[in-house]
Amino acid sequence: MSLQEVIVQIESVTKTFGTQIAVNDLSLSVPKGSIYGFIGPNGSGKTTTLRMIMRIYHPDQGAGHIRVLGEESFEAANDRIGYLPEERGLYKKMRVKELLRFYAELKGRRDSKQAVEQWLERMGLCDAGDKKIEALSKGMAQKVQFISAIIAQPELVILDEPFTGLDPVNADVLREAVLDLRRHGATVIFSTHDMSVAQDLCDYIFMIFRGNKVLDGTLESIQASYGHDTIRVRGEGNGYDPHHIPGVEKVTDFGQLQEFRITDQTDTQAVLAALMSQARVTHFEITKPSLHDIFVRIAGVDAADAHGHPEAMATGSQSDA
Amino acid sequence: MRKILVIAVREYRAAVQTKAFLVMILAMPMFMIGSIAIQKLMRDKVDTNDKTVAVWDQTGRLYAALEVAGAQRDAEEVFIEVGGERKKVKPHYLLQEAHPTADTIEQATLELSERVRNDEIFAFLIIGRDVIDPPEETNGGKESMTARVAYHSANPNYDDIEDWAGDVLNAAVQEIRFQALNLQPEVVRKSTRPVSVANLSLISRDESGRITAARETNRFANFMIPFGLMMLMFMVVMVAASPLVQVVLEEKMQRIAEVLLGSTTPFQLMMGKLVGVVGVSLTIATLYLGGALFAVYNAGYGALLPTGLLWWFVVYQGLAVVFFGALFVAIGAAVSDLKEAQSMMMPVSLLIISPMFVWMSVIKEPLSTSSTLMSFFPPATPMLMMLRISVAPGLPMWQPLLGIVIVLLAAIAAVFVAGRIFRVGILMQGKGANFSEMFRWAVRG
Repeated sequence: MSLQEVIVQIESVTKTFGTQIAVNDLSLSVPKGSIYGFIGPNGSGKTTTLRMIMRIYHPDQGAGHIRVLGEESFEAANDRIGYLPEERGLYKKMRVKELLRFYAELKGRRDSKQAVEQWLERMGLCDAGDKKIEALSKGMAQKVQFISAIIAQPELVILDEPFTGLDPVNADVLREAVLDLRRHGATVIFSTHDMSVAQDLCDYIFMIFRGNKVLDGTLESIQASYGHDTIRVRGEGNGYDPHHIPGVEKVTDFGQLQEFRITDQTDTQAVLAALMSQARVTHFEITKPSLHDIFVRIAGVDAADAHGHPEAMATGSQSDA
Repeated sequence: MRKILVIAVREYRAAVQTKAFLVMILAMPMFMIGSIAIQKLMRDKVDTNDKTVAVWDQTGRLYAALEVAGAQRDAEEVFIEVGGERKKVKPHYLLQEAHPTADTIEQATLELSERVRNDEIFAFLIIGRDVIDPPEETNGGKESMTARVAYHSANPNYDDIEDWAGDVLNAAVQEIRFQALNLQPEVVRKSTRPVSVANLSLISRDESGRITAARETNRFANFMIPFGLMMLMFMVVMVAASPLVQVVLEEKMQRIAEVLLGSTTPFQLMMGKLVGVVGVSLTIATLYLGGALFAVYNAGYGALLPTGLLWWFVVYQGLAVVFFGALFVAIGAAVSDLKEAQSMMMPVSLLIISPMFVWMSVIKEPLSTSSTLMSFFPPATPMLMMLRISVAPGLPMWQPLLGIVIVLLAAIAAVFVAGRIFRVGILMQGKGANFSEMFRWAVRG
């Protein structure tokens, strides 16, 4: 990562609201041209971090540095950054094209007419161009808001929960658009609750929990740090009870499929033998945990359990962001 | 600067390109023209039904005078010629002498009142028996009941008969008194003729050395121009600046602000709004002032309106809009619903209307110490200074200039404070802030 150009560099940044610590001693670097996914439970500090990158919030005095696109100045909102906030907000009375041109102009792009047409077509909004925002459906408004964030061709695009509330067809359209932005050289940071989106789309995944960074890296490196500690089993008639097998720590039942987490030194052959003694096993797979599983391990109700991932033990106050 | 302009243009359009704005712009003059037209219409549409009036003349000497005057009025005033046609424009007063038989005045008055209630008569007059020769005032200076004329009716606001009868009876009583004293009425009238006092401007020497004639001052212009300018400024500030509360509140609650803050600084966003609103205010002022000028020139009063006033007006109005606009922006950013906003707007609205409590004394004595001091109180400066400039004798030039500096400084301070409140408040959701919290935000920055 160090060889690549870094677009966003966050160093030991802390942000408190009153007595609450929203983000605690956070460091992060986003390489140019990457898609960086922020995950984490609600209220863990994702939006606060994104807002700090946007310079809408400033870190606590003397608490770290944020360098965005090589600048550390905290003077002005940057025309080179496009931003889609978590809470959607558009002027209801404005017409779609008028609104998009306003946002383009606000970012200093004057000749936006053609770009507006192209993006509307691309997002399947050709007929909506002259409609007022208040006449749009929620999904359409969300796509309009996405266009407003990227209409001025920013180098860095920050999308807070862009996929929330979209149906699968529109989610695909948006996913394609995000990939296209990267193809054209933009760097994309987005936050999401959808682990499969994060897993499929992101070059890097960053997880923040209670204001602290708990994961940061490529999916492979994150999964590798957990090792092959997961067993997936399918058995006939569900006639087995894995809870009492030594080494099996946690069982998640997906109905047709059961997933076990095993402790470090567990002999998987012994687990298989124990299962086979109870029922006919049709599928047995030793694998890395999914992102979903990792997320739940860190943020789930049993996250504070002593067996959890060491980083999940991080302390810190609940953020309000 | 460019971003401020982009926001200002959008803000201006959003405010001006609405039906509400068009309605408001048209409603005001239409309301004024309409009220004038209705008044005119109503004047022609007076009730011309004849009115029967009973007169109980306790002196026995005055009823005849009423009859004579009534006949003259019937002949001269009730009908007018309109295009060769006789048109009735006033009611006849049908007089009838009353001779009550009751024992007491009270009883008699009651009988006559009953006749009014029964619609037999419209009203009645009781001419006291001592009207012509009133006794010396002994009742603590109070007029004796018997020395006056009482007019009773069921319509206290219909005063035409009362006025007419008063004039006629006074003239008749005077005539009788003159005769009693052997005075010639003509001589008395001549010797008591009133002297008029003319209200004139100062005179000066013109370029050719001639002394100009004094102009008779026009009370209408002396009063209407300052009043009109003050009201216009008040209206413009209210119409242009006060919607900012709602605009900012809406942007805040609908999370538009956060999108905008991805592209502009809070200060640029706020300034853009203020510039846009100044544009709106200038639009309103131009339309109304233009209309007023057109009307004034068409009516032939053009000379009465010094055009230099308009420049002062434009400058002061712009500053007033920025000053109050900034306060409204701060309120919009601090609160979380319209109800909270309204209670916070109260004090600001009071500041805006404060000049209206003192404007009469200010135009009467524009140069007095109190007028001068009040006009340097920043929230009141734009309106009071306009009042003082627009009435004679005018002000020493430094005063309106200093006024501009003071309002400008106040506006900058307001923008600075509002900017700090706006920056914190615009992203706050949930409970709105109170004044002490706003103060803290403003101080801490």
